[in-house]
Amino acid sequence: MTLENEYAIITHHITKKFKDFIAVKDLNLKVKKGEIYGLLGPNGAGKTTIIKMLASISNPTHGEARVLGEKIPDGDIASKIGYMPQETGVYLGLTVDQNMKFYGRIFNIEKEEMEKREDELLKFVDLEDWKNEMVENLSGGMKHRLSLACTLIHKPELLFLDEPTVGVDPELRISFWKYFNQLRENGVTILITTHYMDEARHCDRIGFMQKGTLIAEDAPSKLLQDTGKDSLEDAFLEIAQKDDRKKVVT
Amino acid sequence: MKFFRIMAISRRVFRDLANDKRSLAMLFIAPIFAMCVFGVAFSGDVEGVNVIIVNQDQGFTPPFSGETTYLSKEIINNLNTTILNIQNMNNIDEARLIVEKGQASAVIIFPEDFSKNAILKSQNQSYPSNSEIIIEGDDSITNIKNAISKSVNQALSDTLIENGVTPAIKVTSDPIYGEDADFIDFFVPGILAFVVYLLTTIITLITFVGERSNGTLERVMASPVTEGEVVTGYAITFGTMGVIQVALLLSIAILVFNVMVVGNVLLAFLAVAILAITCQALGILLSSLAKRPEQAIQFLPFVILPAFLLSGVFWPLQAIPEWLRPFSYLVPPTYAVDACRAVMLKGWGIDKIWPDILALVIFALFFLILAVWTLKRGKK
Repeated sequence: MTLENEYAIITHHITKKFKDFIAVKDLNLKVKKGEIYGLLGPNGAGKTTIIKMLASISNPTHGEARVLGEKIPDGDIASKIGYMPQETGVYLGLTVDQNMKFYGRIFNIEKEEMEKREDELLKFVDLEDWKNEMVENLSGGMKHRLSLACTLIHKPELLFLDEPTVGVDPELRISFWKYFNQLRENGVTILITTHYMDEARHCDRIGFMQKGTLIAEDAPSKLLQDTGKDSLEDAFLEIAQKDDRKKVVT
Repeated sequence: MKFFRIMAISRRVFRDLANDKRSLAMLFIAPIFAMCVFGVAFSGDVEGVNVIIVNQDQGFTPPFSGETTYLSKEIINNLNTTILNIQNMNNIDEARLIVEKGQASAVIIFPEDFSKNAILKSQNQSYPSNSEIIIEGDDSITNIKNAISKSVNQALSDTLIENGVTPAIKVTSDPIYGEDADFIDFFVPGILAFVVYLLTTIITLITFVGERSNGTLERVMASPVTEGEVVTGYAITFGTMGVIQVALLLSIAILVFNVMVVGNVLLAFLAVAILAITCQALGILLSSLAKRPEQAIQFLPFVILPAFLLSGVFWPLQAIPEWLRPFSYLVPPTYAVDACRAVMLKGWGIDKIWPDILALVIFALFFLILAVWTLKRGKK
């Protein structure tokens, strides 16, 4: 099995600079097909920048990356990936139904198929009763649910989810994760960023990010074991402090 | 570039507008309001109006005197050359042709017996022939028509005072274009273009800033939709909206204000639709400089003022200071205003307004390419 068959994402020393600020530095990341990989770290750690580069929204300054076997940003991956932005990424001036239809149309989904998928997804995100409601009248959590439904309308192979559970109530967060697991079982790969450390336990592997650098990655249980901590939050702090001390010594 | 994706975007923008009843109402009420509020006489000081003088006056030599008087020459010398750019010609038909082509605003004709009739009439009121100065002009732009007429009358009056005579000279107006045109006839074609320019630029600017800040643009850019498809989708929507706005405004202008429409209004629609496409691309361009809608509002003076002052909407280009005039040609509405006015007031066809349409197409392509480039640049 070649690397490209095994991995959905392979990055090779990718860096993103904004003038003098280095948002992502020399990142080597491999995400296996069919796994849920979580990126964790404080604000400004570079998590969103990584997702944007991999989704071809932003070009890397240096380095190379392959997504689903295609070199980005030139590769033809757009119809195979789903991107859920941190902001809701839905049109406030349209209804729930009109948003779903718009995102379906740009992927050229047939009308009947679209109706079917829309009904399934709205049922899943518990918005079926709000189908004809204007999005601007929905709560923050409902907008996030709609955003997820829009991301899934074209059945992508690889999902980039940037803070998908922000503003979502705990009960629904649990159902989101159930659904993510279902997707994984169906072979969908998910790269997710989250602030909720407890959620990260659901990931197959997680990567701790600090100041644009990947400072550690492994299965959540392994990271806890290696650091001897009880929570991923403490594990992150331990590793981040070690990394800081290492840089000072260097 | 895929048609179904362009149409999906265009349809989405239409839906967005249709769902927002208040904005939709503003799109249609604001132009009507603007037309009514600004429908008052603006008048700048007109300068540099091109006129052709055809002086056929043979002069008058009184019996027993060898000296020939040419009243026409004296009147011409007294014409205000700040207001009028004078070119002399001998052939009336050639001069008329230049006015018909729009290269000059009027032909001022002094007939053969001008001096003779004027002087003989002043000596004997029962003399059968009158003396007259004939102005054959483009009366579609009332400010210019009035400026020419006023200059000729002033020069005539000055000449008579200088000579201490009171010959009966009549200034006759014989319009080549714009017979019976009022200020509102001049004003409406300008306001059509101006309103479409203003609303399209501002709405696209604010909508696109919203697209950038709420993540929808990013999500669309992560899909198979290309930058070109986004810009073209917007262009279709706003080009169509521009035509609807013009149709609405024209209906009101014709039904309520009895505005003159001599030519084919479809050509006016075409000019304004291209202008709307240019403006939506300009809106997308400007949106790249604003991160929030509040910042977008700061661009408004830069959008409104150049068009307000330079595009000839409220006063003809000749009323703009000469040093400022070249800048008028850098403002896209100038060409749409000129095309709409030529079509509606002079009845010109595509054979004559094509330079305006070409300029608009060039502006549209330039801004569309820049808008696509800006979206692509956002990835870097």
